[in-house]
Amino acid sequence: MIDPPIDPAVFAALVEMTGGDVAFVDELVDTYFDDAREQIAALLAAVAAADVPAVVRPAHSLKTNSFNVGAMELGALCRDLEERGRTGELEDAAARVAAIVTGFDRVRQALLADRTARATG
Amino acid sequence: MIDPGIGGRVLIVDDTAFNRRLLARLLRTIGHEPFEASDGRAALDLLTDPDAPPIDVILLDIVMPGMDGYQTLEALKADPALRDLPVIVISGVDELDSVVRCIEMGAADYLPKTVDPAILRARIAASLAQKRLHDNEREALDRQAATNEVLAIMSRSAFELQTVLDAVVGAALRLCRADYGVAYVAEGEAYRAVASAGGTPELDAIERAQSLRPGRESLVGRVALMAEPIQVEDVLLDTDYAARASQLAAGYRTLLGVPIVRDGAVEGVLGLTRNEVRRFSEAELGLAVGFAEQAAIGIANARLLATIERQRGQLARFLSPQVAALVSSPQGEAMLAGHRREITAMFCDLRNFTTFSETAEPEEVLGFLRLYHATIGALVVEHEGTLEHFAGDGIMVFFNDPVPQDDHAARAVRMAVAIRERFVGLAEDWRRRGHILQVGIGIATGYATMGRIGFEGRYDYGGVGNAIILASRLSSEAAAGEILIAQRTFAAMDGAIPAEPAGDRQLKGFSRPMTAYAIGRPEPTDAAVADRPAGPAGRAAS
Repeated sequence: MIDPPIDPAVFAALVEMTGGDVAFVDELVDTYFDDAREQIAALLAAVAAADVPAVVRPAHSLKTNSFNVGAMELGALCRDLEERGRTGELEDAAARVAAIVTGFDRVRQALLADRTARATG
Repeated sequence: MIDPGIGGRVLIVDDTAFNRRLLARLLRTIGHEPFEASDGRAALDLLTDPDAPPIDVILLDIVMPGMDGYQTLEALKADPALRDLPVIVISGVDELDSVVRCIEMGAADYLPKTVDPAILRARIAASLAQKRLHDNEREALDRQAATNEVLAIMSRSAFELQTVLDAVVGAALRLCRADYGVAYVAEGEAYRAVASAGGTPELDAIERAQSLRPGRESLVGRVALMAEPIQVEDVLLDTDYAARASQLAAGYRTLLGVPIVRDGAVEGVLGLTRNEVRRFSEAELGLAVGFAEQAAIGIANARLLATIERQRGQLARFLSPQVAALVSSPQGEAMLAGHRREITAMFCDLRNFTTFSETAEPEEVLGFLRLYHATIGALVVEHEGTLEHFAGDGIMVFFNDPVPQDDHAARAVRMAVAIRERFVGLAEDWRRRGHILQVGIGIATGYATMGRIGFEGRYDYGGVGNAIILASRLSSEAAAGEILIAQRTFAAMDGAIPAEPAGDRQLKGFSRPMTAYAIGRPEPTDAAVADRPAGPAGRAAS
């Protein structure tokens, strides 16, 4: 692991944006998880069907949401996938989607750990 | 529609719940009311739903399943009702080419995907301001169009009160966003509905059956009592209100009544109602007052017209119809002040009238004169002559003034012939009673100064000129049953009616002899003398 999965400064900005409403941030993070599960399902389906353009929309949405919660590395993976999906050059699609799946899992663990830390700390 | 400084209704169109929730939260914290749609289709459904609250600004994501941002934008811009809604495109920093495309398609602005509350606040505020400006503009245009429409109707049908009131009520209903509108007009002590808009025939029937008097029991009564605009926010909470029949039929809740005032009196009431409890705003009240003023002008015009018609009717009994019309026409004053015109004057008086009036009973004389005047009066009207005076047995009529008549000489001669014909029947009755009465007629054509002659309190419409004197002298000169016409009349009628030379006559007031012509009596079978064949003598009594 080179970078932490979540950029603390970006996440802090998100919390600040909501006026420090931690309960709302928790809800928002849960929404992010729900959205991400759908987006990843769509990515896997696109790869299974070898439908290159179909990766663009879920990659795009997951990218945006990830940047907003501070998951910069995951966001970057999604951005690369989205761009390649647009240009159609996507021989390594399966590998890229697999990296996103792993990346999301790390992000999820980190966000849940942070939540537990806040609750107990 | 939106009051300045108050938050707007913002529709978030985004497929990810995360973004919608985050944006909704941020919008709420900066005082706006968020609405959400997960794609373009859902957004359009909400925007075109008449029961949904009107949206002020749209936040639009580009990449969405189903109907994406471009398609949504295209649909919005194609709909005249939605075209002017500001659209802010939500876009990532790496999507600037999409932003350019959206702005080219009519988007107002764009917002970075990674939301910054300060930027969100500023962009929404700018778009809301744009929307408000546009709404105000549209409202002002609507208002102006409606006012112009009413004014146009007023100028086109100034004296048709019903048309004017229908237009006023219709425009007030629309612009003040009312469900039902009625114009009431005073009839003696009470007020009655005379025009309405927005109601069913049943409701209109209930309204029109009411006779509302000043008092607390009805909105109209209160407005009449107070002579000022009155608003009832919820009629169900108003214990004094008693006009329940129409309230039940219409189901209205909020009422606005504005007096239609003329010369300080409440001549009518403009009533507007809403079927929900929602106050009429100051702006709407101002509009209603403006429309009530237009209704007041309409009522004033209608009353004025009634007065003029009545005066004209009364005038016509004393004046010839031409002069009565002249008095009430726009150019009347100038015409009355005096003008020079070529006219043909006709004088007619009775031979032996002096002897008749000395020997007959006064009642007989008056009875005869009434009949004589009635007979000749009808012929004057028929030939469109202008009667200058009736004076005992003498009558003067002129032609070509105030109404121009190209054939004035021939008209005068035709009328003279008709008078002579009718008189035969009239005289026959009196001859049997021993009185020999005959007419003598003189006609002359020439320039005269026409206009108001007399003094304050007793004016006649008449003329001064040689032709008038000549006609009078020829009439005196004429033998019983004779029609003498002057040289110029003979020339002016250009052979339209046969005439024979009747010699040069030395007339009082004329230094040289005047050439006269006589209009011959028709032979029983000769139809050429007058317009139509001479009828049997008895016809004169008709």
